[in-house]
Amino acid sequence: MTVKIRFFARFRELLGTDILTDVTAGTTLRSLITTISQRNPEGHAAIFDENGTFHEFVILMKNGKRIELGDAADTSVADGDEIAVFPPVAGG
Amino acid sequence: MFSQRELDRYKRQMMLFGGEGQERLKKAHIFIAGAGGLGSPISIYLAVAGVGTITIVDMDVVDQTNLNRQILHFDRDVGKKKTASAEEKLQALNPDITVNAIDVKIEESNAVKLIGKANGIVDAMDNYPTRYLLNDVAIAKKIPLFHGGIRGFYGQATTILPGTTPCLKCIFPKAPPKEVFPVVGVTPGIIGTIQANEVIKYLLGSGDLLAGRLFIWDGREAHAEEICVERNPACEACGSLRTTKKPAREEK
Repeated sequence: MTVKIRFFARFRELLGTDILTDVTAGTTLRSLITTISQRNPEGHAAIFDENGTFHEFVILMKNGKRIELGDAADTSVADGDEIAVFPPVAGG
Repeated sequence: MFSQRELDRYKRQMMLFGGEGQERLKKAHIFIAGAGGLGSPISIYLAVAGVGTITIVDMDVVDQTNLNRQILHFDRDVGKKKTASAEEKLQALNPDITVNAIDVKIEESNAVKLIGKANGIVDAMDNYPTRYLLNDVAIAKKIPLFHGGIRGFYGQATTILPGTTPCLKCIFPKAPPKEVFPVVGVTPGIIGTIQANEVIKYLLGSGDLLAGRLFIWDGREAHAEEICVERNPACEACGSLRTTKKPAREEK
């Protein structure tokens, strides 16, 4: 099973984007993003706090549908899924 | 009615939307929150397009570090109030419009009154607490909020039509942490221009707005994309608003 992860803005600078990765059945959205983001500790720290919980401002989408952060650990990913992870940008 | 000077000034855009469209712009009152990186291109383009009344609010003084992106302000303006600098430039660009530049911090106690009878609010702020406040006022007054945000080479924009599209809280329920953000001037140039384009289309009642669509710009890759965003029925800001299908476009 292959899924695609798209990071945006700061997350993209730290982790790249359009990452295709093989996952096993039952992989959750949260574990997937945790694993991928661990490629760069700074990238991981941008998305998760020290307890491994998503920073509250992070926005997750699966196939264009919003996934609440609290549901990410119960949401499994499937072949062909496209995951988007982004931070709002605040500057003006 | 238009003077000969106005007819000449707007000649090339009246080829697009006629005297009727130009009249709509002239009758409009747009509130721009912020005279910084986003507020500069937004106010410049709305001024030269002939938006009849522009209220622009900012509490800051022009600083040397603003000048890589805040193109309303010149080197000679360092130390001046941004509102004074903005009023001077906008009025020089187009003496046929009214510019109200107000030097004040936008707060819960004054926001409703400051925005007054404006037909729309443009978000040119640099922080989410004030953005959420503008969002609340837009919902209360049922007027659009033209959102933009930037950081580095990245930007985002969307047009919020209360009751029709998701509001700012639906899309971004939690603010990112405060920071001194890196930025190159072209990024607010691009996003601010998109916001101004949205305002003009909204006032004209033509074209497709970024309604329910979050526009995302990656200047490093020169790549734009959009994400569909949806209303949150449990949204603390707009959840109680009944859904209306048709955008509440400007009255004729």
